[in-house]
Amino acid sequence: MTDTLSTSQPHPRSDSDEPLLSVRDLTVTFQRAGDEPFVAVDGVSFDLRPGDTLGIVGESGSGKSVTSLAIMGLLPERGVRVTGEVLYNGQDLLKLSPTQMRDRRGAELGMIFQDPLSSLNPVVPIGLQVTEVLERHRGLSRKAAMPLAKEMLDRVGIPDPDRRLKDYPHQLSGGMRQRALIAMALAAEPRVLIADEPTTALDVTIQAQILAVLKDLVEDTGTALIMITHDLGVVAGLVDTVNVMYAGRVVERAARHPLFAEPRHPYTAGLLASIPRLDGSRGERLQPIPGSVADNLPWTSACAFAPRCSQPIDQCRAQTPELVQHDDRALRCFNPMEVTR
Amino acid sequence: MSEATDVTEGERTAYAKDVLVDAKGVKVHFPIKRGVIFDKVIGHVYAVDGVDLQIRTGETYGLVGESGSGKSTLGRAILNLEPPTEGTVEFDGVDIASLSGETLRKKRQDIQMVFQDPMGSLDPRQSVESLLLEGMKAHGLAKDEAHASKRLRELLSAVGLPSAALKKYPHEFSGGQRQRIGIARALSVNPKLIVADEPVSALDVSVQAQVINLLEDLQEEFGLTYLVVAHDLAVVRHISDRIGVMYLGAIAEEAEADDLYAQPLHPYTRALMSAVPVPDPLVEDRRERIILTGDLPSPANPPKGCRFHTRCPWKQETKCDTERPVLRVPEIPGVGTGHRVACHWTEQIESGEIQPHEVKAQLVEQHGAGGDESLLGPASISEAL
Ligand SMILES: Nc1ncnc2c1ncn2[C@@H]1O[C@H](COP(=O)(O)OP(=O)(O)OP(=O)(O)O)[C@@H](O)[C@H]1O
Ligand SMILES: Nc1ncnc2c1ncn2[C@@H]1O[C@H](COP(=O)(O)OP(=O)(O)OP(=O)(O)O)[C@@H](O)[C@H]1O
Ligand code: SF4
Ligand SMILES: [Mg+2]
Ligand SMILES: [Mg+2]
Repeated sequence: MTDTLSTSQPHPRSDSDEPLLSVRDLTVTFQRAGDEPFVAVDGVSFDLRPGDTLGIVGESGSGKSVTSLAIMGLLPERGVRVTGEVLYNGQDLLKLSPTQMRDRRGAELGMIFQDPLSSLNPVVPIGLQVTEVLERHRGLSRKAAMPLAKEMLDRVGIPDPDRRLKDYPHQLSGGMRQRALIAMALAAEPRVLIADEPTTALDVTIQAQILAVLKDLVEDTGTALIMITHDLGVVAGLVDTVNVMYAGRVVERAARHPLFAEPRHPYTAGLLASIPRLDGSRGERLQPIPGSVADNLPWTSACAFAPRCSQPIDQCRAQTPELVQHDDRALRCFNPMEVTR
Repeated sequence: MSEATDVTEGERTAYAKDVLVDAKGVKVHFPIKRGVIFDKVIGHVYAVDGVDLQIRTGETYGLVGESGSGKSTLGRAILNLEPPTEGTVEFDGVDIASLSGETLRKKRQDIQMVFQDPMGSLDPRQSVESLLLEGMKAHGLAKDEAHASKRLRELLSAVGLPSAALKKYPHEFSGGQRQRIGIARALSVNPKLIVADEPVSALDVSVQAQVINLLEDLQEEFGLTYLVVAHDLAVVRHISDRIGVMYLGAIAEEAEADDLYAQPLHPYTRALMSAVPVPDPLVEDRRERIILTGDLPSPANPPKGCRFHTRCPWKQETKCDTERPVLRVPEIPGVGTGHRVACHWTEQIESGEIQPHEVKAQLVEQHGAGGDESLLGPASISEAL
């Protein structure tokens, strides 16, 4: 693979323990008028070093998107309370003014959403949108930016980029739009890229293309990646560390190999046993997780997952489990699955 | 009968006894219209373009393919919700299109549908009881109250809902429970065939398995036949006995579920299979992916010859872009007659004689044959039987 995308030096992969992004006790509470406050993200912490890839998985409503929006400073200003710290190079992004945050966004922190249409400007041709990023964040002239923009569209697999530069977002297919968005997000050479379900709306063969593009780019440029998805398969082949979220909290965090080889939170284990695998044995019955998120208990006085858990103990309904570091992972569970190996 | 089959008449009669659905040469073409005063037809969306398909009593047939490949349209054509432009669909030996009045109503009772979006397909103002009774009344199955109420309770217990659910409304349930209601409604009229279009795609991963298991249990209990339409190959492989892989309105490959997985033969199936992520890093790390370039061509302007040739890594100079391959049993030792592939070069690809090459992505125009984009968007399926 060539590294046409990056004209400057790739970000160095540092061996230092200094995190690039450090999320501390991030909590997001929605205050809907007349309603009980709703804690969507509850004490989430993690570190991201240059070149790291981190996955956040969990089902719908578990707080994945709200976590990423809080990091990017993209939550609405009204009716939301965000506490904790989002330290980027040691500076707390939550304390920045909206203008200061806007400068960081794009330049240092990039984001790709599930629906690329929402983040592309519908009345500006794709080429111009990419060049504008190059002009703004890399200080290039329009003249210098144009060929680079074309190169980037080519790099993310957009056929006939010369022509596509002049196209408007609605003239592209979903997969092509997602590529254009990746090209745009990466044009500024951000040090952290957050991808929130970037392939969920796409067909699986297109998903494979996009994931391959992302993987190469991250490898070539050293950009740290946060990959948000509900699909355990997507993170299995892509990230170093996986955070499993349930009802707003991280319940298990481990490197991908130990996590998949031996899930220890009953929720993680339950998820893995419940999804059909393409390479699974067909006769085997799936083991569903009983109930639904509607059965959850409040974290403030219990384990939210207890009513659906395969092995709850009395404590689970009476006390809040904390995220505790075990040998090779962090677990929020009073009665984790036995170590079998 | 269309030419795109190699099932001989002999084989047909051998199967005839247990064939429940027999679709022959089915085409569904949607006209693309333009014009303010006169609706001028300026082209067609070739949504389904020549499909032969048989579903045997008691089996689960899975139709898989990417968005826009025509799965839902074919499913609807089989239900006769979408009258085929060409071809016929026989159900239990009778061409449904030839029926009318009472006989049609009776036949329709035998085929029910389960939809992707349980909320969109259930009337929010109707209680579960009234939703379930509706079909039963229409088909004269709710003769007296005692009988009906017994049947209602049976239905709920079959789909794993408490009888208290009867008085509730759809919004009071979770997605998985709503899908159970949708399934109970389909079951309420004692159908023989259930066509389930993406029955679990709208559900949370943790809940999908509940519904998949339920479908399997009900099949066993009531001897149902299923046609499951879905884009998730892992789900389809899990629940299906046989699978048809669709690409641009036609079946590219058809086989027993295990054979398809063990030995995918069509280049598209190979690519599709290799693209499905597996939740296992050990598998993912050593997998060889066949990454296709470019997008699915527009069904309003499908490529000539083999419909896959614009993206096929094995495409050859001859035949591929001129002759449409027929769905046929390849001459490969060990490959049974139930395994059919629509590729000119199946044998040479399998033997390794033909090696894959790089493909330059081709531009796919989003507007098809000048068609309106809204026309080409995925159709919403809101009618019920
Ligand atoms: N602007 C908002 N106002 C009020 N509640 C919100 C808002 N945004 C999100 N929520 C709630 O916060 C919770 C977490 O939502 P979030 O979007 O982070 O989930 P998610 O994990 O990204 O799910 P999905 O997989 O469906 O995208 C949900 O219950 C959601 O309804
Ligand atoms: N009523 C209609 N009028 C015009 N075009 C239609 C109509 N219904 C479907 N189509 C088109 O036919 C093609 C096949 O659509 P279909 O819904 O069958 O695909 P599918 O395989 O079910 O896709 P998905 O996975 O998105 O549901 C698409 O291009 C679609 O836009
Ligand atoms: S017929 Fe040709 S283009 Fe089509 S799948 Fe076979 S090799 Fe590829
Ligand atoms: Mg989300
Ligand atoms: Mg469909």
